[in-house]
Amino acid sequence: MKLLRDLLDKQVVDREQVKIGKIDGLVAELRPGKSPRIVAIELGSITLARRLGTKPGRWMAQLAARLGGNRHGEPHRIDWKKVRDIGIDIEFDIDVRETSIFAWQDWLRDHIIGRIPGAG
Amino acid sequence: MKKLLEISLGVVTSVGGFLEVGSMATAAQAGATFGFQLIWAVVLGTICIIFLVEMAGRFAAVSHHTISDGIRERFGFNVFLWPLLAALLVNFLVLSAEIGGVAIALELAAGIGFQWWALPVALLAWLLLWKGTFGFIEKGVSLLGLVTLCFVVGAVMLKPDWTAVAAAAVPSLPAHDAGNYWFMAVSILGASISPYLFMFYSSGALEDKWDKSYLGTNRAIAGLGMTFGGTISIGVLIVAALVLATHGIDQVDDYHQLPLMLIPIFGFWGFVLFVVSLAIACFGAALEVGLQQAYLVAQGFGWTWGEDRKPRDNPGFSAVYTVSLFLASIPIALGLDPLRLTIFSMALTAASLPLTVVPFLFLLNDERYVGEHRNGIISNAAVIFIIALGFVLAVVTIPLQIFGG
Repeated sequence: MKLLRDLLDKQVVDREQVKIGKIDGLVAELRPGKSPRIVAIELGSITLARRLGTKPGRWMAQLAARLGGNRHGEPHRIDWKKVRDIGIDIEFDIDVRETSIFAWQDWLRDHIIGRIPGAG
Repeated sequence: MKKLLEISLGVVTSVGGFLEVGSMATAAQAGATFGFQLIWAVVLGTICIIFLVEMAGRFAAVSHHTISDGIRERFGFNVFLWPLLAALLVNFLVLSAEIGGVAIALELAAGIGFQWWALPVALLAWLLLWKGTFGFIEKGVSLLGLVTLCFVVGAVMLKPDWTAVAAAAVPSLPAHDAGNYWFMAVSILGASISPYLFMFYSSGALEDKWDKSYLGTNRAIAGLGMTFGGTISIGVLIVAALVLATHGIDQVDDYHQLPLMLIPIFGFWGFVLFVVSLAIACFGAALEVGLQQAYLVAQGFGWTWGEDRKPRDNPGFSAVYTVSLFLASIPIALGLDPLRLTIFSMALTAASLPLTVVPFLFLLNDERYVGEHRNGIISNAAVIFIIALGFVLAVVTIPLQIFGG
């Protein structure tokens, strides 16, 4: 499998088919004499900013840590062992509600969107 | 029978997307200043958008990806960032222009200055997106949009010289004001070949749960719907050429000159028809562009998206259209001239075309996405032509803006 071509930037869904982001980065283990092995995927703005360069990556990490606390200073990682299906979307056997990936969306819902009348 | 209904509904819908402030304003300007001569630009733009819309729909139906998904996945985030930023900026200007169009219509109807209408219009559009479903927005607004057919009726009633109309479908060199002529040609092309239109169409195909069985429907909707939209634009151009010029207006530089267009044909009702057409066409487009901003961001970053979900379950998506609509109403509320903004944003749309059209060449030829339904020779020739056209437009737009606009 060509990792970069077939995995990077694909849609990620959790076991409930909730869209939780794109595969923004791959974490691979380099093994001497063998081909590299994926150990995890990364999602989120820090990983995306790192793809643009070291500096944007550092700035985004600082910004995320300032806005969301230290637990948001690192990119979100999902263990590759949790992968369940590779199709149009890549499904992982996780529940997004148990992760902090949607922390900002939850904040947005609780503080702004949910307070506007008619939000459902 | 069901298919036929679906096709007619789709055709009506795509007319709603096609005819907006840009196509109305550019067609009216072109008609007033150059008579029928620029009809070829509408025809050319319509042919280009037929191909792009058909491809966007085919891509979505076969691969279950929208065009934005496809660009991000196929080219990676660092490349995707450019069309993303360009589309967000162009859509912002277009959205602002559409809100301006509705505001002008309300000013004409009620006599209260357009800048006062910008925020109420944005609020109403937001409310419909907030509470409405995709089907409601798609069908409701576009059915109302059929009122714009009054321009076609008007054009026929004026009994134009049809041979002259047909002759103008072939490009010709201007006898005067060459800079202005080419600038208008560019603006008309920008107004017809709108990236938001084909990107919105691919999201709509997924909202309506299209699959391969819709390929025929897709082709019919793209062909008939866009032709229908182009016909209305030509109607506007013919009416402007025959009415405005004979009333001494050979340069449209103010929206207040436009309601005159239909009055010699329909009397007082002509005024009403013009105001209602302008309001509905622009309002429908504002809904679509506002929604497209949210689709673009949500699909680009992989968030949940869909107009049928409640805002509460979709906070990121609904926040984007909320912010987009309000930001876009600000320039109009501050009194920026809607007509100048419209013309400027149409020219900028034309200039941004290469960024959104080049990916079509790759995506629609990639078997991993479209399998056996990949582009044939004609479609590929069309994309390459549109890309070339896009590059020419991107290069000439800014000089023309300075010297001709």
